[in-house]
Amino acid sequence: MNKLQKPAENIYQKGRSLWSDALRRLRRQKLAMISFVVITFYVGFAGFIYLAESLDWNMQTISWEEETGDSYQPPSVKNVFGTDIFGRSVLRKTLYGVKISITVALCASFISLAIGVPLGAIAGYFRGVTDDVVVWIYSTLSSVPYILLVLAFAVVLQNKTIFGIKLTGITTVYLAIGLTSWVGICRLIRGEIIKRKESDYVLAARSYGCPTMRIIFKHLLPNVFHIIIINFSLRFVGFIHAEVILSFLGLGETDRPSWGAMINDARIELSRGVWWQMAAATAAIFFISLALNIFGDALRDSLDPKLKV
Amino acid sequence: MKKCFLFIVLLTLFPTLSGCKKSATDGNPDEMVLYHAIGTKIKGLDPGDMRDVYSMMVGSQIFETLYQYHFLKRPYQIVPLLAEEMPRISDDKLVYTIKIKRGVFFQDDRCFPDGKGRELKAGDFVYSLKRIANVKYISQNWSMFDDKIVGLDEFREYTRKCKKREDVDFSRLVEGLQTPDDYTLVIKLTRPWPQLIATALADTAMAPVAKESVDYYGRDIISHPVGTGPYRLNIWRRGSYIELVRSPVFRGELYPSEGEPSDVKAGYLDDAGKPIPFADKVVWTIIEEAQPAWFLFLQGKLDASVIPKDNFDEAISGTGELTPEMKKRDIHLKKYIDPSTFWLGFNMLDPMLGKNKSLRQAISLSFDRRKFIDLFSNGRDVIAHGFVAPLMDSYASKISEKGYARFDPDEAREKLKLAEQIHGGKIPTLKVSMPGTGTFYRQFGQFTKSNFDAVGLDVEIEYMDWPTYLGKLKSGSLQIFSSGVKASIPDAEDFLGMFYSKNWAPGSNSFNYKNIRCDELYKKIEVMDDSPQRRELYREMEITVLEDYPAVFINHRVAYTLRHGWYMNYKPHVFSYGLSKYRRIDLAKRAAYK
Repeated sequence: MNKLQKPAENIYQKGRSLWSDALRRLRRQKLAMISFVVITFYVGFAGFIYLAESLDWNMQTISWEEETGDSYQPPSVKNVFGTDIFGRSVLRKTLYGVKISITVALCASFISLAIGVPLGAIAGYFRGVTDDVVVWIYSTLSSVPYILLVLAFAVVLQNKTIFGIKLTGITTVYLAIGLTSWVGICRLIRGEIIKRKESDYVLAARSYGCPTMRIIFKHLLPNVFHIIIINFSLRFVGFIHAEVILSFLGLGETDRPSWGAMINDARIELSRGVWWQMAAATAAIFFISLALNIFGDALRDSLDPKLKV
Repeated sequence: MKKCFLFIVLLTLFPTLSGCKKSATDGNPDEMVLYHAIGTKIKGLDPGDMRDVYSMMVGSQIFETLYQYHFLKRPYQIVPLLAEEMPRISDDKLVYTIKIKRGVFFQDDRCFPDGKGRELKAGDFVYSLKRIANVKYISQNWSMFDDKIVGLDEFREYTRKCKKREDVDFSRLVEGLQTPDDYTLVIKLTRPWPQLIATALADTAMAPVAKESVDYYGRDIISHPVGTGPYRLNIWRRGSYIELVRSPVFRGELYPSEGEPSDVKAGYLDDAGKPIPFADKVVWTIIEEAQPAWFLFLQGKLDASVIPKDNFDEAISGTGELTPEMKKRDIHLKKYIDPSTFWLGFNMLDPMLGKNKSLRQAISLSFDRRKFIDLFSNGRDVIAHGFVAPLMDSYASKISEKGYARFDPDEAREKLKLAEQIHGGKIPTLKVSMPGTGTFYRQFGQFTKSNFDAVGLDVEIEYMDWPTYLGKLKSGSLQIFSSGVKASIPDAEDFLGMFYSKNWAPGSNSFNYKNIRCDELYKKIEVMDDSPQRRELYREMEITVLEDYPAVFINHRVAYTLRHGWYMNYKPHVFSYGLSKYRRIDLAKRAAYK
């Protein structure tokens, strides 16, 4: 008898939520976890620089302006990645570049999500004229090559004063990236909302007289949130690259070190045999890009209900 | 169908693929072509509105002036070009009579009947000057003639009243510009102007333009230059390529037979008395980045090149001479002082900077000029202790003793304290504007910021493109700005004029500087002939200006130019641009280069 009762207990065992199941599956992937640690380090270090700057901590690691040797010194024990034209440590510049890149990627992500998600949700739910207008806007935007669009926005926004705030350096960069890269997420959310708006739980909410906005933002959006997270992680790396490109083209940060500006400087220094600035900035971009790609893929696999085992 | 498509694709690709192998110097091996690089797009090739170096580099091969600098003689000497001889000057130095060469023809162009260029007449010079005076034309060369020629200012006022460009009557008489016959030009001045020949008559601005070409091409004249020079425009792909070809109607000129004693040994007189120009074509490829131009030079696709700062060690050894690798390639080096000065200028109309000499002194003392030169020009340049460039006769060799270009951060801090007392509190953030957004300007900005920061000055660096910068500079809206100037004549007047209050922005006085004593001195100097007394007044004016610290004068450029062994008659000339006619190519040497 006892033997017969055990299966019955298993049948009524409490199911796991999408999120806890995803977390369980994610933990099993060692490479993804290592990538997560790398990402956490980058983000944590960016946060640390913000904290140190706001509290006026005088720390060597982030004092990139300090001259630590002569001009263009090759890598040594004192200067691990050598020095730049002004004798500043390339390692410190690279570490400081983390702040610029992470700030741009985070801000640009939030701006693009803040525009793309509500627009996609509203277009998908209401359809009709609203949908036509939103689709028309994003189709127009997506018909322009992405990098040209970002460049155009960056050039227009550069040094402009909006609501009394002067747009310079990275502010211009993340605004330009954020305002031009919401199309993808908008399209995805619109499609998901169209698919789910006739679901039972939405019909139930409607029959209870729930207001439309509450249905969209309280019932529908939480159910497509995993798409937002996957999209966020996969696009994050793209935003870092966009910042590097804009800085390389002289439209990004000018007063503080960023990886793009470092690569731009290094481009002409290569012919005099100064390779370390290029190597350091490229390595920094390589590790965060690789980590974000691996982690983003793992996250997508973990959150995909079709791959549930 | 598939095969047909493939065939079409291959046909389309074939010229492209074959074109890939073709180098810039390929072509007819017997054709003598000069290959140059130019660092920026050419704005236009209309001499009446030509002022920038790049346009002049090309335009001076197409257009000619009444006088030119002798190619070989030093000190620089002015000789006739379109003029038959040097001008006859009246005793009161107010009337210049100039005989014009006969048999000079405008280049063949469709603006002339049957496309055949007509003979140059004295009236063409009068027309060209009236054109510059025409308000509707908005020539940047007008300030050169402002209040100098009798009746020309009245003509300008008359054009102001004309409704349209086309309404201007160029046959209207100007008393100071007369042509007793087709080959005589008489210029009457309002007051003596000893620099007339060097400043105006040898300047591209005074190059004659045919009225037919202006009427025919209208506003598009900037793309259709029709001059009397040895070359005419053949191809101009804006932003990438310019090709000039030998003008078949050029009257002919002979290579100079006299020069400096050292010119014989240098081979500059080997071609003495031969007809010029030598080259059949002159080509400029527009290459904005210094390094691609450098690599093309090393490949033998450019005849001469400057040395980018990041390739300096590759070309020049520690002793300041060419490296063995360069010598092996039969590359030759020329070093010469460029009569130029670069600075960080102060807008003297700025309420904070203009009234606070201590602040300006503090900024000047905070700037490490030696380090700047070491980092940005491989230690080549000379510190600017004043603003008159070393090549000028009036350059005061002992000016460094005055200490205007001292780097002393401690004294700068002391001066800053005084400046804060004058200002009544901490000095607000200063704004320094850079005329570019590229790596050089970004690094220059960072260098400036670190110098200012070190003495406790807050500074914000603004990077802007050239047209934006120029617009703001001319409107006087910049606080501190990076700028520079290259002399166009071997006289310091170009430099001193920058501090004459009549030349305030949009004129050459971008500092908006005014000092009554300086104005008095300039007025006196302007009408004087070259003499020791005049040079002393120059020096007095320079010191008077320097005492006011209207700028942080940084450096005078020293040019290092390389040329291939096949590029002959390459004697540097800092005041003349129309030199392609003297250059010759040793085609065998060029063909043998690997």
